[in-house]
Amino acid sequence: MSAEAWLPGSLFDNIDKFANSLGYQNAAIALELSMIPWKSPEERDSFIMSITGDDVKGGAEKKYIKNFGG
Amino acid sequence: MTTAPDNRGGMRPTAPQNNPANVSATGGAGQSGEYSGFAYGQNSQLNNSRVEGNAAVASVSAARPETPSLPPMQTLTDNIGGKYSNITDGGDFGSPVGSAAMPKNISANTRPDENAAIIARYLPDLVHAASFADAPDSYKRFVNYLASK
Repeated sequence: MSAEAWLPGSLFDNIDKFANSLGYQNAAIALELSMIPWKSPEERDSFIMSITGDDVKGGAEKKYIKNFGG
Repeated sequence: MTTAPDNRGGMRPTAPQNNPANVSATGGAGQSGEYSGFAYGQNSQLNNSRVEGNAAVASVSAARPETPSLPPMQTLTDNIGGKYSNITDGGDFGSPVGSAAMPKNISANTRPDENAAIIARYLPDLVHAASFADAPDSYKRFVNYLASK
C-alpha cells in the first residue's frame, strides 16, 4: 500500500484534470499546462472552463462536486 | 468737383519696379529698366543683352522637365510575377495554390514527435503517481493510454 496520497491541486491532479478536459490527444499540452503554478484548484478549473467552454472533467467525481450555490 | 479715378497711386504689383526681371545697373536712375548713361551704342547693347538674358531664363524655366510619374507602389499581396507568381502561394489563404503544393518536409507537423518526447520523459513518474492512494480512475485511464502509445 502506498503511503503517498492524492492531493487536490498537485501536479498529478492538474494532469488528470487537463488531460481529461482537453482530451488524450492533447496530452503533451495537458502536461505543460499542468506545470503552471496555479494559485488554487479553483483558478485552474476556471482556466479549463474558459478554454473548453465546458465543465472540468476527470478526478474522483464524488470528491469533485462543486458547490454552485445550491 | 472731380473724382479721382480708381487705382490711382499707391503700390501697384505690376509696376516696373516690382518686376524682378528689370534690373538696372544704374540703380534708381533707370526705373524703366532701360540702361542709360553709357557710351554711345553701349546702352542698346546692354539692353539687348538684358532682354536676351530674361528670355533665356524664361526658356529654361519652360523647358524644365516635369517630375517623372512613378509606378504605383505594390502591396504585399500584389501579383509580383515571375517564378513566384503570387506571394500568398503556399499559404492556405489568398492564392488558389495552397499548402498542398509545398514539399512534404516543409508542411510536416513536428508536434507529434515533440509530444512523444514529453510523454516519454514524464511517463515513469506518471505511472508511479497512479499508485497513490485515492488516485482517481480517470487519471489511471489516462496513464494507461500513455503507456499504450
